[in-house]
Amino acid sequence: MDYSFDFQSVSFGPLWDGLIVTLQLTIAANLIGIVLGFPLALLIMSRFAPARLPAMLFVEFFRCTPAIVQIVWFFYCVPMLFNVFLGSMTMGILALGLNLMAFNAEAYRAAIQAVPREQLDAGIALGLNPVQRTLYIVLPTAVRASIPVLLTNGIGIFQQSALVAIVAVQDLMYQAKSLATETYRPIETFTIVALIYFAVSFPVSQIVGYLERRRQLMMS
Amino acid sequence: MTLDFSILLRFQDALALGLWMTIKLTLICVVLGCSLGFVIGLARTSRSTLLRAASSIYVEFFRGTPVLVQLFWIFFCLPLILGVELSNLTSGVIALTLYMGAISSETFRASLKSIGPEQLDACVALGLPRRVQVTSVVLPQAVLRAVPTLLSNCVSLFKESALVSAVGMADLMFVGQNISNNTARPVEVLTVVALIYFVIAFPLTRAVTLIERRVLTKLAI
Repeated sequence: MDYSFDFQSVSFGPLWDGLIVTLQLTIAANLIGIVLGFPLALLIMSRFAPARLPAMLFVEFFRCTPAIVQIVWFFYCVPMLFNVFLGSMTMGILALGLNLMAFNAEAYRAAIQAVPREQLDAGIALGLNPVQRTLYIVLPTAVRASIPVLLTNGIGIFQQSALVAIVAVQDLMYQAKSLATETYRPIETFTIVALIYFAVSFPVSQIVGYLERRRQLMMS
Repeated sequence: MTLDFSILLRFQDALALGLWMTIKLTLICVVLGCSLGFVIGLARTSRSTLLRAASSIYVEFFRGTPVLVQLFWIFFCLPLILGVELSNLTSGVIALTLYMGAISSETFRASLKSIGPEQLDACVALGLPRRVQVTSVVLPQAVLRAVPTLLSNCVSLFKESALVSAVGMADLMFVGQNISNNTARPVEVLTVVALIYFVIAFPLTRAVTLIERRVLTKLAI
C-alpha cells in the first residue's frame, strides 16, 4: 500500500471534548440504570400482575430491539408524542439510561433470585416486615452479587453511547466523524478513537474478570 | 397529534426488502462468525504463546470498542489500506463477522473450560485415543453447552446489524429512516420498525431460555 500515515493532523482538542461528553453520558446513564434498575427488578418479580406485566414489557422491549432504533425513536418520537422538547444531551442520557435500566433490572433479578431462602426465613423469624427484609437482606446481598454484571452493562453503555453521534450529540464518535471528514484522515482518526474507547473499556473489563474470579474462589 | 399507521401499507415492499437485507446479513455473519469464533476459541487455549497472544488481542479489541467505530473503520479505512473497493455488503459482512467471531470465541472458550478434568481422566482410564477424546467427548459437550449463549449472541448480532444503516446500507433501519424522513411520520414508521425487530428477536430470546431449561437438563450436561 502507498498510504503515508500522518497522525499529526489529528487534533486532540475536539476528541478530548468529545470524550468528556461521552463520559458524562455514560455516568449519567449508569446512575439512572443502577438506581432505577433495582425497583424495576422488584416490579418484574412482583406477584401483582398489573405491576409485573408493564415492567416486563418495558424490559423485553429494550432488550429485543436495536439500541440505534431506540435512540432514533426517542429523538424523533418523544417530542412529537408527548410535546416535550429537551436538550439533545438530556435526550441522549434518557435513552441510554432507560436502555441500561432494562438490562440492569435483569441482572438484579438474577441476583435477587440467588439470595438464599434461609436468609429470608431468618428475616421473618426476626420479625422484620417485607420492606425491611427487602432493604436490609435482599438489597445488600443482591447488589453485591450483581456488581460484575452491572459493570459489564455499564461499559456496554459506554460503547453504545457512540450511537448518539447519529442524532448529532457531540460525543467522541461525532467529533471523530467530523474530524475525519475535515482532515481527510479517516484511518488515523478512527484508529485513535478506537484506541481511546479501548483504553477506557479494557481496564474495566479486566476489573470485572478479577471480581468474578475472586467471587468464584470465595464460593468454592 | 393523530396517528395513521395505514400509510405504512404503501411501503410494505420497501420494508420487506430492508428486512430481507437485515436477515441475510445476520445469517451470513452468524455462520461465518461462529466458525471464526470456534477457531479463535481453540487458539486462545492453544499451547503456542504467539497464537494465544494474537487471538487475545483480537478478541479484547473487538469487545472493547463500540461496534459503530469498528464498522466505520472497516468502511472507510480498510479500502484505503487494501487499495481495493469493497462493496457495502462485503464491508458490512466483514465488520459484523469479526464482531460475532470475537463474542462467540468467548462462548466457546467458556464451554470448553466447563468440561471437567475428571472426564479426561476417565478417557485415559478407558484407554481412548486422543482423537476419540476430542471428537466424542469434548466436542459434542462443548458445542451443546455453547448453544444457548451462541443463540443469544445471534440475537445481539441481529440487533447490532441495524448499525449498518449508519454507513448507508439499505437494511430495515435504513429503509425505515428513509420512509420516516420522506413522509414526515417518524412516530408511525419508527414504531413499526422497532416492532418488527422485536417480533423477531423476542421469540429467539424465549428460545434461549427454553433451551437452557429443558434441553440441557434433559441431557444432564
